[in-house]
Amino acid sequence: MTEKDYNESVLLYADNVYRFIVKNLRHTEDAEDIVQSAFEKLWIHKDSVEPKKAKSYLFTVAYHLLIDHTRKAKRISLQESFENDTQTAYQENKALKKVLHDALATLNETQRSLVLLKDYEGYSYEEIGEITKLTTDQVRVYLHRARLKLRNYLISPQQVL
Amino acid sequence: MQNINLHNYQDFLLRYIDEELDLRETEALLAFVAAHPAIGEELESLQSTKLDIESITCPSKSLLYKNIFPVIVEPTTIVYQNKQKLFKKEKEKAPVILLKWWAMGAAAVFIFIVARYGMFNGEAGGGLSKNSSSKNIAQKNSVVKAETSTASNATKSNAVVTSESLASTNIVSKQQNITTNPLRNSGLGDVVYHAIQNASTVTVSETARAIPSYNGSIIDVKPTVIAEITTAPIALNQAAETPEPNEIIETLDTEAASSNRSVMVGAFEIDKDKFRGLFRRANALFKNKENNKNEK
Repeated sequence: MTEKDYNESVLLYADNVYRFIVKNLRHTEDAEDIVQSAFEKLWIHKDSVEPKKAKSYLFTVAYHLLIDHTRKAKRISLQESFENDTQTAYQENKALKKVLHDALATLNETQRSLVLLKDYEGYSYEEIGEITKLTTDQVRVYLHRARLKLRNYLISPQQVL
Repeated sequence: MQNINLHNYQDFLLRYIDEELDLRETEALLAFVAAHPAIGEELESLQSTKLDIESITCPSKSLLYKNIFPVIVEPTTIVYQNKQKLFKKEKEKAPVILLKWWAMGAAAVFIFIVARYGMFNGEAGGGLSKNSSSKNIAQKNSVVKAETSTASNATKSNAVVTSESLASTNIVSKQQNITTNPLRNSGLGDVVYHAIQNASTVTVSETARAIPSYNGSIIDVKPTVIAEITTAPIALNQAAETPEPNEIIETLDTEAASSNRSVMVGAFEIDKDKFRGLFRRANALFKNKENNKNEK
């Protein structure tokens, strides 16, 4: 990967990676840090990364950085952080979307990441397995469980009321 | 392809939402859903779990580019306090007067004229008369024949010397030729000439009397040298008896002397003595100026 390819990757994938991280963390500044770390790692290893695989490389790095970040901040609930930190709270405009993202917050890190990678980025099971270091069957099973959990959250009596 | 039934339909629904079904499976699922309306409602509920694509821009995206955007350094307002000490004033230099091309050309023409046609000929002539000495001996072109008469006590002979050279004439006298050789060759061995060596003198009364004149394109150079040769009486009492000897007294050199004093610069012949005079004058002028400056 050349410098030009790297900069093109920034142009094409920076928003995607950021969206993936910020939807997971619901913390914009932490998401920016992770995105910068991911691209810095891509720049360091640009000679060994092919341009075609730059996107998956970025999401792989970002995913693992996300996992590391959530493990370090394990004592603090993501939900509490989201509710207390009004400055960094991700703004939702629509009520339905807000409910859905609240439901997304109920998932564990792996399930949420799988849903985000699948819905936002359109990765296949195999590609998600490469990013998350899971098998294709694991991805499929975890993802189906996440869907059902989301659905149950959405059709629960509290949300209906 | 696996058949869709009530036991496995949910897996097909989830894979349909994830867009993991191929064309045949999709058609089979849609046919199954059409046959089971309750399953259609479940499909809609599962589809609501799918996230809509949002366009979120990374705020720090511009920081991620490498070597494209220049680093903007904000200007700082740091003021160096001792700035006044750093100022320096350049010393005044002597004004340089540049000569214009026409002035230089005029000077060159003047020098050329002086060198070529000898405007300072009068002074140079004096120098030449001083420089003409007895160093050059026995030359080819000019020969002065002096006829001496033994009958008279003192005879004067005027020799007119013509020369192509402007420079000068050298008059050389060989006293031995005057005294001994002619007499011996004449076969008059009895006659003794005692005082010839002291008596014969050669004087140059005038050299380069004619100043070269410049008549347009023709240059007339007419140096005239009158050599006055005086011979003292050899022997007064024997004058009548001795025959008149034909003596070669002196030879004058003009060409070799002029070639030694002149230098050919291109097609022009320049006299060294004239240039020496010019250089001496210029040197004197510069010294005077320096002295004036020192006095001031």
